[in-house]
Amino acid sequence: MKWSKWIILAILLLFLLAGGIPLFIQRNYKETLVMADGVTRVLRLSDFFEPLKGTMGDTNIYEFQGKDPGGKVLILAGTHESEVSAMVTAFMFVENLQVQAGTVYVVPHYNYSGSLGSQPGGGFPLYYTIPTPWGEKKFRLGDRGLQALDQWPDPDVYVHYPDGQLLSYIDARNTNRTWPGKPNGTLGEKVAYAAMEMIRNEKIDIVIDLHEAEAMFPVTNCIVAPEKSKSYAIGAALYVKGREKFESHVEPSPSNFRGLSHREVGDFSDALVFLLEAPCVHLDQISGPKTNDLMIVGKDPFINVAAEKGLLFVPIDDRGWTIERRVGQQSSVIQEIVNQFNKKNPARAILFTAPKHAEVVEKRMGAFFKDPDKAPKSRIAYE
Amino acid sequence: MFNDPQFFQTIGYTLAMAGGYIVGKIFKLSTEICLFIAALVGALVAGSGLDVFRHFAEGSVTYFDIGLIFIFATLFMNILKESGAMDLIVRWIIRAFGNKKVFFLILLMIVMLIPGALTGAGSISVLVVGGTVSAALSAMGLKKERVAAIVFIVAGLSAAAPPINVWAMMTCAGTAVPYVGFTMPLLVPILILGLFTVLFLGWKGKISNIEEALKTIPEPKGLSVWSVAIPFIVLVALLSLPRIFPFDFPLLGLPLSFALSALVAWIMNYKRVKVFRVMADTVAQLTPLIATTTVVGMFVQVMSFNGTKGLFSLWIVTAPMALLYIILPFVIPISEGLLTYGGVAVLGIPLIWMFNARGINTVIALSGLTLLWPLGDGLPPTKLIGRLTVDTVGYTGSYGKFLKECIVPWIAITVVGILMVAFSNQLSFLMG
Ligand SMILES: [Zn+2]
Repeated sequence: MKWSKWIILAILLLFLLAGGIPLFIQRNYKETLVMADGVTRVLRLSDFFEPLKGTMGDTNIYEFQGKDPGGKVLILAGTHESEVSAMVTAFMFVENLQVQAGTVYVVPHYNYSGSLGSQPGGGFPLYYTIPTPWGEKKFRLGDRGLQALDQWPDPDVYVHYPDGQLLSYIDARNTNRTWPGKPNGTLGEKVAYAAMEMIRNEKIDIVIDLHEAEAMFPVTNCIVAPEKSKSYAIGAALYVKGREKFESHVEPSPSNFRGLSHREVGDFSDALVFLLEAPCVHLDQISGPKTNDLMIVGKDPFINVAAEKGLLFVPIDDRGWTIERRVGQQSSVIQEIVNQFNKKNPARAILFTAPKHAEVVEKRMGAFFKDPDKAPKSRIAYE
Repeated sequence: MFNDPQFFQTIGYTLAMAGGYIVGKIFKLSTEICLFIAALVGALVAGSGLDVFRHFAEGSVTYFDIGLIFIFATLFMNILKESGAMDLIVRWIIRAFGNKKVFFLILLMIVMLIPGALTGAGSISVLVVGGTVSAALSAMGLKKERVAAIVFIVAGLSAAAPPINVWAMMTCAGTAVPYVGFTMPLLVPILILGLFTVLFLGWKGKISNIEEALKTIPEPKGLSVWSVAIPFIVLVALLSLPRIFPFDFPLLGLPLSFALSALVAWIMNYKRVKVFRVMADTVAQLTPLIATTTVVGMFVQVMSFNGTKGLFSLWIVTAPMALLYIILPFVIPISEGLLTYGGVAVLGIPLIWMFNARGINTVIALSGLTLLWPLGDGLPPTKLIGRLTVDTVGYTGSYGKFLKECIVPWIAITVVGILMVAFSNQLSFLMG
């Protein structure tokens, strides 16, 4: 090799080293949140499946137990750690929820490993921030799948357990393709298995899996529900349209597409399962520069052009798909699904209050996050 | 509507990146370094600041696994080549089938199709059987550039062949279309096109005298059938067992499967193979290729970061259908040549959504388009599979002459692929 090649190699290595440090810092960054008074316990997913302990698949479960007896609802966020409104909704719940009857479980980072690094080749920032009255609230921006550092190698093709359906090798690290899980499987399969164990052992009535989808993706802005959850989903969709004046239609869960929460959770447990998709534009291939605003304000001129050409599956207007609209939508739909459940199962009613769509849009997102510096130490949690 | 400042801004970034690339070329720097400069410029003009280091680190690992697979698969083949196993296999094929030309060509085609079909990587076909096949084709008296063309085109088809078609799978994963119903829509055109390719390019070849042909290939001494067969048996077992017993066989992944097979190959031939020299040669042989995939990862990361990826995707999906039929035959291979698998994210995913919005059968249309992607693996700047092919075949002439040999099958593949998009609904019976 000529000396010039050695110099180039040295420069390249220095570049990678300089680039590795911020990635290392992000992987170890902890998000701070101020738990609402109603949090009764902070459980771990490994409490339901021991082998998960000490792995990057283990994660916090915030329990809100009401004074009165009732049913149980499990809210999963961060299945895909790049779908920001899911995590922000979960954080808002942990900081603001008030439960009167029954139990609410909130998991902000279901795919904890995925939250520890952003998508290679995606060009996204490492963090996203939301302005609040006391400063900026900072979150890690994660990847869709588990980190390769935590689950490797990939198979050449991913075979879904137990169905045997062939899926892309990429989906081996997708925690919304590993349901219902496998106790001696990959980390992603173990995470799903632990969650299934929790759902079965704790007799969870309702499981709600929060997502966001691209404006150009046909299954967006909707509630995905299998046959047995369908009537609750339709009731919730009609209610939010009529009373809260926003749209979220119902999509049936396809029976030939395996590994998804809205398919397997209902098939492998007694729970009613729902997957919520809020629309976002930062994940669209056609959206412009990957900035914090793209994720939080949700406006993009490229998206506007695609909208004019009729290529999108959600309406685009001057408001933008702000974090407030998306989180408000997730929150209101969750509450209405639970209301529909309560009507049909009064003995297992789950009663709680959380900010609704109009309130979040009006007061802005930051109003729902407390200043950790002013909160008592006992209420601080780290994610 | 195309008048928002963001359009001028991203067009400006595109020009800046192109400028960086061209300046590099003016200074006669290698393609990898030119792409690196382009990415650096693209990040800095878009205001990345010091975050450019992080973007480069993150982008550089995008194709980490592909690089590992190349290294270990090549090591496996180089050990076998060094042991003389390849010569033995070619001699056997020539002796058995040398005087049945059509059968001989079809056999070579099938042998070429299988490794890529099973792993989804045309490179595996080239690396594992390309050497053997090219020796057999050379024995038919075909020119080296023609042999390279056959190996390259059939390897490309093997990558697209079912069960594993990485372009289709990556698109499905990005669009949540199930990877179901692709077997026949892929297999039927690929078999037809494969037959056409080997017969068209190989027709002039002929083994006039089997004994004469055998003399051109050295006869390996002291090599038992087992020292050739066992490494291949181990490889086939490691590749197929996870598929046969998906829930019980430990997950090894392709890099480790090839590494273990290479180890077995060496153990079976340790007297004949100087393993450290073969390792050093392999790394030297692959360094340019690994450099390319690393830099392409950084380039894709920057294109996404500064919005130029969004701009190109938008142009494609908003183009009229008639125009797409004309530009896709060029844009798809060029995107592959420029970005390797990165092209799927830029084009494939938005295209499928647009097809969906226009009532086109996405499975058939995507099957057709995935025939076109592998062609781009022969195009500069990356020439990923093209380079592997000419290396493996031992063709030392001009790269352009090799590409010229590919033209007729290339056009045939393009026509079939585009017709599958145009008549996707009429062809939906293929999905069964
Ligand atoms: Zn999702």
